[in-house]
Amino acid sequence: MNLRRQLLLVSLLTLVLPWAGCQFIRETESALRAGQQQMLAGTARAIADSLAQHEDDFPLRADNDFALGDQLYGHRLEVLPSIDGYFDDWNLSREALRTLRGTDGPIRFAIGLHRQALYLYVEVTDDNVVYAAPGTIAIDERSQSADSVTLVSANPPYLNEAFVFGAEAPGPIISYLRTAFGFAPEATIAAHWQDVPGRGYQVEARIPTGKLGTHLGLVVNNTNDERTTAVRSSSFSARSPGAFVTASDALTAFATEHVQPGMRLTLTDTSGWRLASAGDVRLPARERGGIGMTLVRLAYLSLVEPGQEAVLANPDPSGQERQPFIAEALQGAASVDWFRSADSGDAIVAAAEPVMAGDNIIGALVLQQGTDAILSLRNQGLARLVYVTVIATLVAAIALLGYATWLSRRIRRLSIAAEDALENDALRTTLPSALDRDEVGDLSRSFSFVLRQLGDYNEYLRSLASKLSHELRTPLAIVTSSLENLEHEPLNAASADYAARARDGADRLRRILTAMSEASRVEELMQHAEPDNFDLVAMLRSTVAAYRDVYPARQFDLATELESVAMRGSPELLIQMLDKLVDNATDFSAAGDTIKIELGRETGRLRIAVSNPGPPLPERMRSQLFDSLVSVRSNDGGRHLGLGLYIARLIAEGHGGSISADNIDGGVRFTVLLPQPD
Amino acid sequence: MAKRIAIVEDEAAIRDNYVAAFKREGYGVDAYDSRKPAMQAFAARLPDLVVIDINLRDDVEGGFELCRALRAQAPELPIIFLTARDSEFDAVSGLRLGADDYLTKDISLPHLMARIAALFRRLEAMQQPQAAESRLTRGDLAIDTERMTVLWQDRPVGLTLTEFWLVHALARYPGHVKNRQQLMDAAQAVLDDNTITSHVKRIRRKFAAIDANFNAIETVYGMGYRWLQ
Repeated sequence: MNLRRQLLLVSLLTLVLPWAGCQFIRETESALRAGQQQMLAGTARAIADSLAQHEDDFPLRADNDFALGDQLYGHRLEVLPSIDGYFDDWNLSREALRTLRGTDGPIRFAIGLHRQALYLYVEVTDDNVVYAAPGTIAIDERSQSADSVTLVSANPPYLNEAFVFGAEAPGPIISYLRTAFGFAPEATIAAHWQDVPGRGYQVEARIPTGKLGTHLGLVVNNTNDERTTAVRSSSFSARSPGAFVTASDALTAFATEHVQPGMRLTLTDTSGWRLASAGDVRLPARERGGIGMTLVRLAYLSLVEPGQEAVLANPDPSGQERQPFIAEALQGAASVDWFRSADSGDAIVAAAEPVMAGDNIIGALVLQQGTDAILSLRNQGLARLVYVTVIATLVAAIALLGYATWLSRRIRRLSIAAEDALENDALRTTLPSALDRDEVGDLSRSFSFVLRQLGDYNEYLRSLASKLSHELRTPLAIVTSSLENLEHEPLNAASADYAARARDGADRLRRILTAMSEASRVEELMQHAEPDNFDLVAMLRSTVAAYRDVYPARQFDLATELESVAMRGSPELLIQMLDKLVDNATDFSAAGDTIKIELGRETGRLRIAVSNPGPPLPERMRSQLFDSLVSVRSNDGGRHLGLGLYIARLIAEGHGGSISADNIDGGVRFTVLLPQPD
Repeated sequence: MAKRIAIVEDEAAIRDNYVAAFKREGYGVDAYDSRKPAMQAFAARLPDLVVIDINLRDDVEGGFELCRALRAQAPELPIIFLTARDSEFDAVSGLRLGADDYLTKDISLPHLMARIAALFRRLEAMQQPQAAESRLTRGDLAIDTERMTVLWQDRPVGLTLTEFWLVHALARYPGHVKNRQQLMDAAQAVLDDNTITSHVKRIRRKFAAIDANFNAIETVYGMGYRWLQ
């Protein structure tokens, strides 16, 4: 991975900014909500305190003797239902229906209040609806063996009364009132029996409130045929039904008076039954604005603290508030809670406060409020955050990218320059960034230093051969002159042999020394040489002809399409260069092989190539091949010092050209490129 | 009377070897290890031939100094440089100072002796009338093999002993290519290719100084040189 990608990746760290922003928004939202909750709790306490004077309007105390579940709740109806056996016109949700367990399935019922009448709606699941035999319904005992619905009314400590709804056939029915004094039709009650095929029946009835007591209960009798005694399902478990609860006009008035805009005030009794509810939590209309705002809202929703579903904040359709925080208030502890709307993201905060009368808890007060202020705050905040973050991220990314580009370009330039210097043997050039004071500058200086060291070393190697040969020449002269003198002394046969061997050794040594100084000789010649004008093609032809004589075991093939090439330079030196290349080629080829010498033009330069079949050049030696004292011959008895190709290079470069070596198919090719004279 | 050869050489072993060789050939030898004693002795009496090393101990250019002083003193005295310094520059410097030959210490004793003998022979020939049979004429070229002198268009060409032998070897059989080995043998020296090249170059230049159109020595690429008629 290059530096730019790395830094670009690092720039992704700026994405931490939006994350931090989101954290901040979330915290802010939570803090604001908590603050609002506290304010709301304060308001709730103040209202609850002023409720003490309305103690009488709270119907029940905690010390009642009936089971709490036995109570029935009367919903305030906004419209007048018609008595037709259907629930649709009650304008209540079906969740308002309470459920009893019946013999054939659930029994659902609801009680509503409208003006001075109580409305009863019951739907009974009944596999087999048994109608009373005609005329028998008025006889109480016989009605036991038909399906019927009974509303039990009590006014403790007085005895219970019961309104019995049975039918001889579906349709409007007559209801009966059973009291301690008897069983008689009740004319003030209107009722309708609706048969629901396959499921059972539905009964709807209207009873004037004046006929009813303070306690109400529902009983459903179900029988399978006329002879079997009906099975009783009841809304109360005790002997008597529980107290009937419904919204209190006085408390509703109080609530309406005390509620502030945008709030909902709910009062419950000790069991959580809703006694009053006023006002409404204002949830803003669905967002105006396009997809952008939707995205913002979605982003917001995903980052804020999730809360309970906002529907739970609405008044419980069953009439009994069962939220845990309300239950807590009913235990005497003020508590708060909050909800969140899933589709708008708005939060609703709620505070519940126990209503006290002296030391007794007589009910609970629930105050709810939407969070409009927070909403607008977070919308603005979020939008700003998004813009700032995007800009910051872009700026950081662009800056880092630019910086990385600049940095990597410097480093790349440095490395290219270093490679160039190494390749062209220009080891004393100043590398880029050498004056910079940063790490790249340090790197450049280190590179320069290393290159300089390398240059010194190369220089040393180059001069080593000639220096060495020079230093060795004098002692060699001592040896040879001594040996030559020795030849004139009388020697026995053995001594003469030794002397002869010593001569041979000294001779070899001399040849080696001559070879070693050849390079410096060539350099010298190059400096003093006066260029001649000559025909390169003629020179090559003549030279190649000479090679055929010198190396009879090799074939020589001169390939050129050129008739004549006017060349300027030192023909002797160029021949010496060819000698080295051909010598090299013959060494690495076998007897009978063909050594090919080519001459051609290539992009304005002259190209002389010498190729021979043979083993390829080892890759690791390729770049050093033309250096002084470098030989790829593994062992040839010291005949080659690795100066031949170095001399060839000196001559090629001395003519302004270059030399290179390649492995070709099944062999090796040395190529010399020379500038073409004008 | 035996010829006297003076040798100025700082390396005792080499000096002694040369002294022994010269004596064996019947020469009288004076050996010096540095410039000063040599100069003092030369002031008193000049030898017949001087062999000088360039580098005389700490006196790096001592041989050159000595040569210059000697040449001023005796213009005809044969002087041979015998040195370990094989650079072209040194050779040119030495010859420019008037030395008759510039040899590296690679040279074998027999070769050295041959040269010394040749120089003495030339010296003697100079003092005698010219013998007709010793002349070799090739067009504009006239070679006196006894005196080892060369004339081009009747003007003398100042060649060193090595150069003379090279020209002689080439001109003797005009049109024949002489390869480097043959030339080396003729010059009584072990020379490498580059030295031969340098010599030929120098010879051409010397002829060209007399005749700008000189082109009698032809290079046969890859083979050697030949004298053109």
